[in-house]
Amino acid sequence: MECDKRLRELIDRSFVEEVSEGERHLIDHHIRDCDGCKRYVELTARTIRGLREFTFTSEAESSAQVFEILAHHTGTMRQHNVQFKIWAAFAGALSMSIVGSALVYQVAKFLAAPMHFDNAQVQAGVLVFWLLPSFCSAVCTLAAPGENRGIA
Amino acid sequence: MLALPMTLNTTAETETAKIARGLRERDTELLADLVERCQHRLVRYLVYLTGRREHAEDLAQETWIRVLQRGSQYNGRQRFDPWLFAIARNLAIDDIRKKLKAVQTASLPNDGDAMLLLPSSGPSPFEAAARSEDAMRLAGRLQILPPLYREALLLRFQEELSLAEIAQVVGAPVTTVTSRIYRGLAALRSAFEESDSHGV
Repeated sequence: MECDKRLRELIDRSFVEEVSEGERHLIDHHIRDCDGCKRYVELTARTIRGLREFTFTSEAESSAQVFEILAHHTGTMRQHNVQFKIWAAFAGALSMSIVGSALVYQVAKFLAAPMHFDNAQVQAGVLVFWLLPSFCSAVCTLAAPGENRGIA
Repeated sequence: MLALPMTLNTTAETETAKIARGLRERDTELLADLVERCQHRLVRYLVYLTGRREHAEDLAQETWIRVLQRGSQYNGRQRFDPWLFAIARNLAIDDIRKKLKAVQTASLPNDGDAMLLLPSSGPSPFEAAARSEDAMRLAGRLQILPPLYREALLLRFQEELSLAEIAQVVGAPVTTVTSRIYRGLAALRSAFEESDSHGV
């Protein structure tokens, strides 16, 4: 018996996705009388069952090996991350040192004018008491161990 | 009555959110758990996709490294498995492309890379994995079935992904996915039709 193509499509669909109650009933009703479609349903079900009867066992040490590689990569990535943070902290500290020194210089110049300090004295003061110490602090972020920077 | 599905849904969300957070933080315990749970399924998917067993483990390793590197891209709003399979798929396709390129530019016919594309000797991975007589009958068909059909069948009937999730993995519309499944089923069904008609 040559069945309606739409019915075969409906049978296919019933195996792959949800069909409505009505459609399910239509299939059940039809295969009661149609041997061809009954066989079609049985073969499709058998095919899908067969597909589930393949067992691909991963090699026993495979998961352990993968995890070992991942642990190594995690360590390396964390190390790179810490390196990046150190350089970012250094760059931040250095720029703050330069910008801060410029600001301090301007303020010192403004305050020094009524006291008749000359420009060279103000520059020397800012250099010795501000720029050099702040620059040294910035360099220290590179040298200090990670846990002292709070970024280990 | 509605409480149970809602609870299950919340649990599923919490699970994916937990995975997303763990991947962002590169939580090694979570990674170990994911590898334990998904490794054999990942290898199985790669065997279905490539039709070969030899490189499946290597590709699976690369997939996990990619997961580690791009973990922050997993948003936790969808299930983890489709995201994992999508990464594995991209890597497998890149690998096949590289090998094809190597074959095209190779001057020697027996180039190592070229051999990787040839069918391996001995039983196919499907024959080796078949656990029943019916599965054994399907194994031969699976080996010659287009990989895209094989992949769709695996994701639907073994991984039990929804059609939308499969579409997300393969980057194709749902209608294309459905059509691949129907065609794949038709090709495999014929293995039983023929053997039954021959009285096997």
